[in-house]
Amino acid sequence: MAGSNEVNLNESKRVVPLNTWVLISNFKLAYNILRRSDGTFNRELAEFLDRKVPANTIPVDGVFSFDHVDRVTGLLNRAQWGILELEKPLSTTKIVPVIIFFHGGSFAHSSANSAIYDTFCRRLVSICKAVVVSVNYRRAPEHRYPCAYDDGWTALKWVKSRTWLQSGKDSKVHVYLAGDSSGGNIAHHVAVKAAEAEVEVLGNILLHPMFAGKIRTESEKRLDGKYFVTIQDRDWYWRAYLPEGEDRDHPACNPFGPRGMSIEGLKFPKSLVVVAGLDLVQDWQLAYVEGLQKADQEVKLLYLKEATIGFYFLPNNDHFYCLMEEINNFVNPNC
Amino acid sequence: MSPYESATSAGSSSGSSSAYSSTKPADIDGLLAGAGYKVRSSDLRHVAQRLERLETAMVNSPVELSQLASSDTVHYNPSDIGSWVDSLLSEFNHTPSLPSDLPDLPGIVVGPGISPTVINEADATWMDHDAPQQQQQSAQSLGIPPNQLTVVTAMEEDSGIRLVHLLMTCAESVQRGEFSLAGSLIDDMQSLLRRVNTTCGIGKVAGYFIDALSRRIFTPQASGLFGGSGSASAYENELLYHHFYEACPYLKFAHFTANQAILEAFDGHDCVHVIDFNLMHGLQWPALIQALALRPGGPPLLRLTGIGPPSPDGRDSLREIGLRLAELARSVNVRFAFRGVAAQRLEDVKPWMLQVNSKEAVAVNSILQLHRLLGSDPNRSPPIEIVLGWIRQLNPKIMTVIEHEANHNQPGFMDRFTESLYYYSTMFDSLEACTLQPEKALAEIYIQREICNVVSCEGSARLERHEPLAKWRSRLGQAGFRPLHLGSNAFKQASMLLTLFSAEGYCVEENEGCLTLGWHSRPLISASAWQAVPDANSPLGIVNHHHNNHNAL
Repeated sequence: MAGSNEVNLNESKRVVPLNTWVLISNFKLAYNILRRSDGTFNRELAEFLDRKVPANTIPVDGVFSFDHVDRVTGLLNRAQWGILELEKPLSTTKIVPVIIFFHGGSFAHSSANSAIYDTFCRRLVSICKAVVVSVNYRRAPEHRYPCAYDDGWTALKWVKSRTWLQSGKDSKVHVYLAGDSSGGNIAHHVAVKAAEAEVEVLGNILLHPMFAGKIRTESEKRLDGKYFVTIQDRDWYWRAYLPEGEDRDHPACNPFGPRGMSIEGLKFPKSLVVVAGLDLVQDWQLAYVEGLQKADQEVKLLYLKEATIGFYFLPNNDHFYCLMEEINNFVNPNC
Repeated sequence: MSPYESATSAGSSSGSSSAYSSTKPADIDGLLAGAGYKVRSSDLRHVAQRLERLETAMVNSPVELSQLASSDTVHYNPSDIGSWVDSLLSEFNHTPSLPSDLPDLPGIVVGPGISPTVINEADATWMDHDAPQQQQQSAQSLGIPPNQLTVVTAMEEDSGIRLVHLLMTCAESVQRGEFSLAGSLIDDMQSLLRRVNTTCGIGKVAGYFIDALSRRIFTPQASGLFGGSGSASAYENELLYHHFYEACPYLKFAHFTANQAILEAFDGHDCVHVIDFNLMHGLQWPALIQALALRPGGPPLLRLTGIGPPSPDGRDSLREIGLRLAELARSVNVRFAFRGVAAQRLEDVKPWMLQVNSKEAVAVNSILQLHRLLGSDPNRSPPIEIVLGWIRQLNPKIMTVIEHEANHNQPGFMDRFTESLYYYSTMFDSLEACTLQPEKALAEIYIQREICNVVSCEGSARLERHEPLAKWRSRLGQAGFRPLHLGSNAFKQASMLLTLFSAEGYCVEENEGCLTLGWHSRPLISASAWQAVPDANSPLGIVNHHHNNHNAL
């Protein structure tokens, strides 16, 4: 056990900058303490340890934010954008993309006001000249499937109905869905619901999205424990999110698997799927891309061979800049 | 080896490997700071090694890990990754290891200590950690002047949005001295107010701010009504305070958190003395008296010194409160003595009035008082320095400080106005959940008075000079205090208290050893604890308050 651990620690050290390694290792070890073997979660300690930042209506580097709470559902969204004139809609000539972002955390961790995600969203705003609305969806294990998807859908409807988010000559809200890890999974399912309800979503951005299945794939076995993530912890989070007694072929985690639903013929948004080459979940993410292709849906795969999970938290590597450029081109196709 | 190694070493400002770095003080890693963590660049490697050691310990001692996961181990200040990791490592280290000079006897089983670290210093081949400081997407590139800001609150009605816009414009014209424009904007706003729902939300808050602006513009001389000493009667203030206490959890959180910290600080002491900077109705103290009564080993002798304004009508309200608390203490068998110190302003209190004796453990308790000392008069020494000075000389076991988490003391009027509009909107929002009357109505008046003071008063009349935690940390640090961190146990208990007594939406957050309570991710009030740094000049290394008390006479 100690022997293989030695190999594990040395491998991840070699591929990420030191401060990134410290950041992600810190999360990894803290999360180990928060997950209890009986499937419960130490929520108070999790909230204590999570570094949060308040919204700030005073622009920092040109980006400001505010929080909105839905009075009926209690759902909190944090909206971030650049300087804005209050009275007009965003723009009557230019299209300003509105990205609805679902933070990661394997359905259990983090919040819209977690420092890592607030900072990431601010960078998105600056680089893509977009408005970002980060959704504080209900988390597992206290709130299992389908709560996160329901909250995503509520957020989408809210965003679509804000007149002050409209832009362009057609005066509508130009919405994209995005998310990392569990957030990517949520983005997919909300997009399906939107397509079925004929609510227009212009694109999906899935950043190493969280998918799984019953069988163990080659990448899971090969990369288990090597780059911050283990199969064991992935299993724990799925047990915490899926309905009790369910297995990993449930359509929530395996949308194109044996119990999956075909989305062929559905007006599904174009997708940008980003896969980190050192993520053990990649075989499932690649299967997802294949599933989209088989259903005749437009999808672009961005495969970052040397990237680990969480490469986008700190802008200290090429993958980060590559990702941002791709996202920018994706949401601003005519620029 | 790394495709980006060359990219990262160019233009880095945290170059610990460069030949020029020897005289530069170690900088906090800027990228980790953006993620909420404080780690010096020069410490990164060391912290990383300790993380590795902790992981090895966790892997090798799964039983201890699961105990750690279910236990009530107290965690402190997670922003400081190094110290957090060390505290966890000590959890794994507590099994005694054999002394190294014991002969290697057969049959001795080595306990489950930490297996030797697998890190070879030469192996620590992390990528070059000098990160490019690229995160400055500056305002210049967007062509926006930095002081032109817009408050955005998520409102449904156009009128609401217009109101906020008009408020901002009006505040700006006040700042520029364009009073006739400001006046006409007041008229516009008042007519707009008639079309807006003023019983809740933006309409209600806007109404109070319009009112405060009017006072500033039209009747500045009457602004003293909401500021300065001897304005509203002490009785009225206490009444409003009490209703604010009942209507929302901010003061309850303050009392609860401070009491916990004081209780811990008093552990092992038989004579304790609490100095309360603003007694009011003494709402904080029954809980502490009861907790001390139940203390294992029995209660200490408790002295309470309550400071408050003098009662003009001949009553001695301080003494009345003291008598009631004494009655309670008697009923739970806690030896108790009370002393009231009447003072119009905190800076009028002299330490000899507190009669601290050298044998007792002292706790100084300041609930929303220190900011009132921040007004400065060029003719006198700053009151905050005077007061912090004598507190330090008392060498208290603990000083609990509760303050508004807001930046309402900035020199520019516009900045103060904007901040307070956002702050009090959030506070009013949280009050919506309260259904108790007349508590809610009177709590609103309490808050309204604060708004008026922040917006329409200046100089010595402006007492509500709220500053955020970051500023208090710096101020208290410079005054010779060091933080006593509030840990995950205090956090957990505060969170539980909230779920029991308050509406959903309130949240407790940890902030570098302090706790804040806020509404939906906006912290509104902060609680912190402090101790005097030992005086390096004194031969005993402690501040000799006994000596100084004599001098003060």
